[in-house]
Amino acid sequence: MGSEKKPEKFVVSIGPQHPALKEPGHFEFGVEGEIVTSATARLGFVHRGMEKGTESRTWVQNLYLMERVCGICSHVHAMAYAQGVEKLAHVEVPPRARAIRELIAELERIHSHLLWLGVAAHEGGFDTLFMLSWRDRETVMDLLESITGNRVNYSANVLGGVKIDIDEAKISAIHKGMDFLEERTRHYMKVVTEDETFLGRTRNIGSMSLDLALRLGAVGPTARASGVTYDVRVDSPYAAYADFPIKVVTDTAGDLEARFVVRIKELYESFRVIRELIDHMPASELTTRIPRRMPEGEVVSRVEAPRGELFYYLKSNGSDMPERIKVRTPSLCNWGSVLSTAVGHKLADMPMILAGIDPCFSCNDRMVLVNQDNNLSTWSWEDLRQYGIEYYK
Amino acid sequence: MTSPIEGVMDKVKTWARVNSPWAIHFNSGSCNGCDIEILATLTPRYDVERFGIKLQGSPRHADVLICTGPVTLQARDRLVRIYEQMPEPKFVVAVGSCGISGGVFQGCYGVVGDIGDVIPVNVYVPGCPPRPEAIIYGVVQLLKSLQS
Amino acid sequence: MDMEQKLQAATDIVKEWTISTNNPEANRVDAVIAPENVKKAVAALLDAPWGYLSAITGVDHPEYSTDEAGVKHVIPDKGTLELLYHFSGGAVVFTLRLTLPYDHAVVDTICDIDMAAQLYEREAAELFGIDFAGAPSKEHLVLPEDWPAGVYPLRKAFTGLKQS
Repeated sequence: MGSEKKPEKFVVSIGPQHPALKEPGHFEFGVEGEIVTSATARLGFVHRGMEKGTESRTWVQNLYLMERVCGICSHVHAMAYAQGVEKLAHVEVPPRARAIRELIAELERIHSHLLWLGVAAHEGGFDTLFMLSWRDRETVMDLLESITGNRVNYSANVLGGVKIDIDEAKISAIHKGMDFLEERTRHYMKVVTEDETFLGRTRNIGSMSLDLALRLGAVGPTARASGVTYDVRVDSPYAAYADFPIKVVTDTAGDLEARFVVRIKELYESFRVIRELIDHMPASELTTRIPRRMPEGEVVSRVEAPRGELFYYLKSNGSDMPERIKVRTPSLCNWGSVLSTAVGHKLADMPMILAGIDPCFSCNDRMVLVNQDNNLSTWSWEDLRQYGIEYYK
Repeated sequence: MTSPIEGVMDKVKTWARVNSPWAIHFNSGSCNGCDIEILATLTPRYDVERFGIKLQGSPRHADVLICTGPVTLQARDRLVRIYEQMPEPKFVVAVGSCGISGGVFQGCYGVVGDIGDVIPVNVYVPGCPPRPEAIIYGVVQLLKSLQS
Repeated sequence: MDMEQKLQAATDIVKEWTISTNNPEANRVDAVIAPENVKKAVAALLDAPWGYLSAITGVDHPEYSTDEAGVKHVIPDKGTLELLYHFSGGAVVFTLRLTLPYDHAVVDTICDIDMAAQLYEREAAELFGIDFAGAPSKEHLVLPEDWPAGVYPLRKAFTGLKQS
């Protein structure tokens, strides 16, 4: 502010108002004409103080708190936390429990990627794809509900194992669901790689080179679309990923199209590994005993969430409550990639670029246009989305 | 005492309001679980638009505020502002356990309280998160109460 | 490269600044360094290149007093803060640890070497009251604008905002 060179400044407050948004942020975009020249972030609209909250809850209570860090990837949070606690307690989880954890994690990845596909398409003005992918997503939601009893916060984990099991009926239901989804996913792959109008919004937009992705510390599909081969499931197998491995999916283009392609290819991988899992489910107990007080110590637990590496640091002081729990969610890493790829792009591309990392937002978030006289004019996120759609008409 | 014409107008207004309530959704600190379920109510399986319920972008066009999550320090002012921007008469549906009591986030320093602490709430939908059917049922309950 | 070699490589890279090392898990090594060397150590790891910065964790170590009933109480304004820079490389996690006293909780920013560190640093700055000297932005990241100055919620002495 203050310099004469800035004719206009946009303040996008991507507030806590979007259904698919986990870590709401507030962005400031400086623009010259149509081109974005700077971008900064402000987070914390849903900062609830959970890390402090963990310090006054017991290890068991915290499992349910951590599951609610994010409703979209609730299972991976609970799993990362449970695995950390199990490491603290030096407890080995039975193989069947580990396999079920992986099964739920992959089902969750399918639900999350389909959700993202829909929301990202919505940002591009492609509501048909939004509705279709969400319709198909209900298949996996039904499976998750039939297995765990809840559609969203599955609560499949307990400290020391899982509390749900799968039987023959569920196995055949999962097979059926996977077959249906695989067929649908092939269709989506065709849409995102062949549909001319859609490619106009994704190809060569928001490009991030391998070098830049590494420097910005991007993770997950966002990074893999630029050729980064990080995937905790492969690098440091947890749950049953050592026995039921997945292949890392990468792309080299680094643009928005590549992020679509990588996520859709990951869906294929998930279908494959889920079939393998249910066909070769090891037989064993589901839980093992775990003490109420954790021995003193500190551990790091990493898992691959649908959006990338999820990092947990747990420190125990020997009591029944943690001394410190640190959660670093993958979206936090990817904000950096948004902020730097945004520069040089058209304002009309912002919705898609922001959606490209998967903390998607739309609808009700407001955008404030600040001109030189500091007169505020408000743009809703919907306005910006419409602006983008109109621009590309 | 209302004149006959006013009485008729009121009936028409209620009829219109009940048949096509426009809703706005606000996440005041939720984990997103409820939010994706609210979004799911719009998609083909549940499709609330067939009942005339439309999710709206701007609070100035909305009749119903669908709210999720405990209220965080930063979201409180925005929640109040959105509520105040809505035209009268306005109704609030609080979705999820956190909106009712703060849920698992009770006692966290960033949490002010539940939605009822900040703005008046007409209908609470319990669940963590409630199923899309439950959310639709909650809105239907609100509409029923308007009718009578 | 197996885990031991990978960890040994990291240990060698930061050897000249290391005060002590610890091996808490099979896939982890912690290296304690002096706060003034953080920039050099981080730069050496990133230039090697050895993995990427996964997270920066702050930990509070207050001093406690015990009353007659045996209940521990935090002594405000006495204690140290610890910063943990977690680097991930494949299956292993290498952590640089440094300790800062409450009365001089200042450390050099590493944003100019690693852009990804900015959000992690701002989080630690807000929640623990650590001053990252030379940081590009010191605005609030997660706490509200009207959050009282000098109150750091993740310090043990913090038990809640006073109701006003």
